[in-house]
Amino acid sequence: MQRRDFLKVAAITGTAGALDSCGNPEHQLIRFIPEEDLVPGVAEYKPSICTMCPAGCGLMVKVMEGDAEVVRNGQLGLIKMALAKKLEGNPNHPINQGKLCPRGQAGLQVTYHPDRIRHPLKRTGPRGSGQFQEISWDEAIRTLVEQLNALQAAKQSMSFLSRPLKGQHRELAERFLELFGARAGAPIYFDLMDSAALRFANAYSFGAGQLPTYDLANSNYVISFGADFLGTWNSPVAQSVGFGVMRQGRAGRRGKFVQVESRMSLTGASADEWLPAKPGTEGALALGLAHVIMRDKLGRPQHASRAGELISRWGDGLPDFSPPKVEQITGVSAAKIERLAREMASHLPAVVVVGGAPLAATNAVFTALAANALNALLGSIEQPGGVYFTLRLPSWPDTWADIPGGFGSVALLDQLVYPLLQGKWDAAKILLLNDANPVFAMPPNLHVREALEKIPFIASFGSFIDDTSVLADLILPDHSPLESWVDDIPESGSIQGVVSVTPPALRPLHNTRAMPDVLLQLAPQIVGEFADMYRHRLPWASFDAMLAAQYSDLYSMKGSLKAANSEEFWKALRKQGVWSTSEGIPGREKGLATAPISKNPPRARPNFWWRTAQSMWPEDYEAMMAPRVKEFHGPEFDGAEKDFPFHFLPYASQMLFDGSLAHLPWMQETPDPISTAMWGTWVEINPKTATSLGIVQGDLLEVASQHGKIQAPALIYPGIAPDTVAMPVGQGHEHFTRYASGRGANPISILAPVTVPETGSLAWAATRVKITKAGKGKLVLFAGGLREHPLEEGQR
Amino acid sequence: MARKWGMVVDLDRCTGCEACVVACRAENNVPTAGEDQASRGRAIHWIRVERYWEGEFPDARLKFRPVLCQQCDAAPCEPTCPTYASHHTSEGLNAQIYNRCIGTRYCANACPYTVRFFNFYNPVWDKPFHLQLNPDVSVREVGVMEKCTFCVQRIQAAEIQAEADERDLKDGEFNPACVQTCPPRAMVFGDLNDPGSEVARLARSNRATKLLGELGTKPNVTYFDPESWEEGKS
Repeated sequence: MQRRDFLKVAAITGTAGALDSCGNPEHQLIRFIPEEDLVPGVAEYKPSICTMCPAGCGLMVKVMEGDAEVVRNGQLGLIKMALAKKLEGNPNHPINQGKLCPRGQAGLQVTYHPDRIRHPLKRTGPRGSGQFQEISWDEAIRTLVEQLNALQAAKQSMSFLSRPLKGQHRELAERFLELFGARAGAPIYFDLMDSAALRFANAYSFGAGQLPTYDLANSNYVISFGADFLGTWNSPVAQSVGFGVMRQGRAGRRGKFVQVESRMSLTGASADEWLPAKPGTEGALALGLAHVIMRDKLGRPQHASRAGELISRWGDGLPDFSPPKVEQITGVSAAKIERLAREMASHLPAVVVVGGAPLAATNAVFTALAANALNALLGSIEQPGGVYFTLRLPSWPDTWADIPGGFGSVALLDQLVYPLLQGKWDAAKILLLNDANPVFAMPPNLHVREALEKIPFIASFGSFIDDTSVLADLILPDHSPLESWVDDIPESGSIQGVVSVTPPALRPLHNTRAMPDVLLQLAPQIVGEFADMYRHRLPWASFDAMLAAQYSDLYSMKGSLKAANSEEFWKALRKQGVWSTSEGIPGREKGLATAPISKNPPRARPNFWWRTAQSMWPEDYEAMMAPRVKEFHGPEFDGAEKDFPFHFLPYASQMLFDGSLAHLPWMQETPDPISTAMWGTWVEINPKTATSLGIVQGDLLEVASQHGKIQAPALIYPGIAPDTVAMPVGQGHEHFTRYASGRGANPISILAPVTVPETGSLAWAATRVKITKAGKGKLVLFAGGLREHPLEEGQR
Repeated sequence: MARKWGMVVDLDRCTGCEACVVACRAENNVPTAGEDQASRGRAIHWIRVERYWEGEFPDARLKFRPVLCQQCDAAPCEPTCPTYASHHTSEGLNAQIYNRCIGTRYCANACPYTVRFFNFYNPVWDKPFHLQLNPDVSVREVGVMEKCTFCVQRIQAAEIQAEADERDLKDGEFNPACVQTCPPRAMVFGDLNDPGSEVARLARSNRATKLLGELGTKPNVTYFDPESWEEGKS
């Protein structure tokens, strides 16, 4: 026995013995021997990756020694361990350059959340009751293996439903599903506000179904159609860094920023010119601008290659989009259109951004294609101050980028839900659920909950019980990201290609296991013909071994890390947490815009699932897409205007994001930047509309669509169109920890099940509603410390 | 010459994202009040983002302004304190000494910026949230005032380290949590008495304004107002 082991045993048995003789043993905790060497009071900074949104910002975790209550071998005790005290941006990371957004700052609370699942659970009460019982990891793994092998033997179907996975997490999940062959179906990556329409349009326009990167720092003129790019959309920190430079980082050269949207977003609030257009007409406005630029021979059109192809169909000068005609469609005056077009064209480089609500209308693909082509007309594709696409190696696991535009949220989910509701033979018998919450984030009319209830066995990896994972039969809780190996290949936010890989910054606080390690542990135990065929693709014993193997090819490429050999490279990568290309990557040196045009879809990776996906490309893709570049089809809305007079605009909340961060008290209590509201939901309404309806701030409103109704207090909002009401997404969870359960209302729950036809995404901005007063509501405002605290009745 | 800490906030860069607000909460162990206490106006934010609406639809405009303790040279909060809990340090900070404070709240009444907050109850962290508490910052108890310190723990740590290394502090070597995280780099922090520092250079700019400067509080936080775009200037 070594000295260290002896001390451990002595500490446990000795203290336990001593405690037995004390008066109150429950007040005295055993002290375990520390598992790591730490200097008290000295902070260490360890790299990690933010997973609060898909942008992939780099973190530096401030780690200090402290006392934590932990359970070891069934015994509660105290241990000195490394604790995360603060998150900072990683200054060497090309995406966020040392900066973090408010959501990233709150990432600490995921690890230390009191309602985190601390050990494996099995369901004891009826499904959905939230009654679970602690079990051991051995039992949990055994149960799951038995279920999966019984499924293989009976040749039944299963499904994997997850939040969008990145990097090798994605690769691993997909290789794991290969063990079940066609019975598993493609992995379902669920994301409410999925930008699939933009990826779809970009696949056509640029040959990359990828979110764009904007070089705002070098731009002189930015026009954004609905994109909340400084708040919640795409890569907000990277975009905010660039925005700061565009505004005041260049001596004597301050860029102009124009935002087009019907409700002023956080981003719109920073605009030099804010321009409300009718919802769903943003694409027509873009073509109106293009009309003027071509008529007056302005801009610097890129005629070569793929970018030129985008505008070649505009040879007739877009006669349908003269400013007076566009004024009728959009409500933006012809004079403004003329002025804006001239301003843009005379202040090159200019860049066009599109995102948010315009991409959640039924004509989203037209709008995105119009914006892409306008960028080509301005000569801004892969030019300084314009729009770029982050470099990627063909072998990298991509987020959507290989699929033509990706599949939208509803279409993906329907692969799971439809067979279940119809009672088809191939309906899933087992569901593996990983941190996706479609029961909350899909309209009830899509019957996600009813479908999931029909699945005989659901296993969940998520760290929290939410509206969806409450239906699970077995819970195998994941580590928190700070406790895990994390890797990421950001889809956007940097012109150069970026790979982030970071080891755990902390030891696990609870009896949890990393989801990738659980999958690797399961793989050798799965039986069946597909398992035997594909098991060799998962040769690793642990996820870090997989990461080391999968990223070893980076060593030979020109990049930000210099190392003598691949072992040295791996060491340096773990220490820095990030690697980026320095000279482009093979096959992509020339960029996309100037690459030769291919009529064929982008080549899929040699992966079982993406081959299936590729077969879903329409045969005559070009013929299908070509007319969409110049024909305006108006947006369609659910609900007749006379019965439902208001457009309904749910939007991603700056703090709660799409609802996935509602469980963090820091996010609940940080005032919304514009409304200053905390701990709740509200309905934003134009002041004149409110006056005409006799509504004052704080009145409880009932918001009703054809599909349901919810109640929330009114908030008078000067920056919203008179015929529009808006609500933040995020609250209204039935189950999501003590801080979010039963709080506020969920605007998604009254949305119509309308989709963007090309992608099958939920068109979440395509519902009309009516509003009625329903009494007095409760609105908690911070109101910036001014003397406007809403004191409760009787207090003033 | 003694150091004098100051900050410049460029409102033309500020996007109102509130990363500073959450960063401050994390760094300085600022407790969450919960819905009930927050509805009574008892939520504590050492830094907040104020927003001002102007005009009517469709010409509505919104302006943001992060407001934190202005670390005034002639601070109205200091002379009102009967116990000298609120006092001026040799480096120009308005410090709050928690164990002198008896909770008269005179300072909060005197402060025109409403950046001082009273602890109406003992703060609670639902376990294990207490593990994320920063050991370099004391937790305030019921009955005392608290406020922004310019992250004095970071100032102290950097000064001690520089002294141990027998060197001068470098401009930008450390920053308060709000400045460090600010994505559009709207905030700059440093020593106003070092003429070469970025903050001193910016504070001399003709864009510099003070919040409620007409009150004679001599704030050490300087604001740059938003600019408007001029045709042909870019």
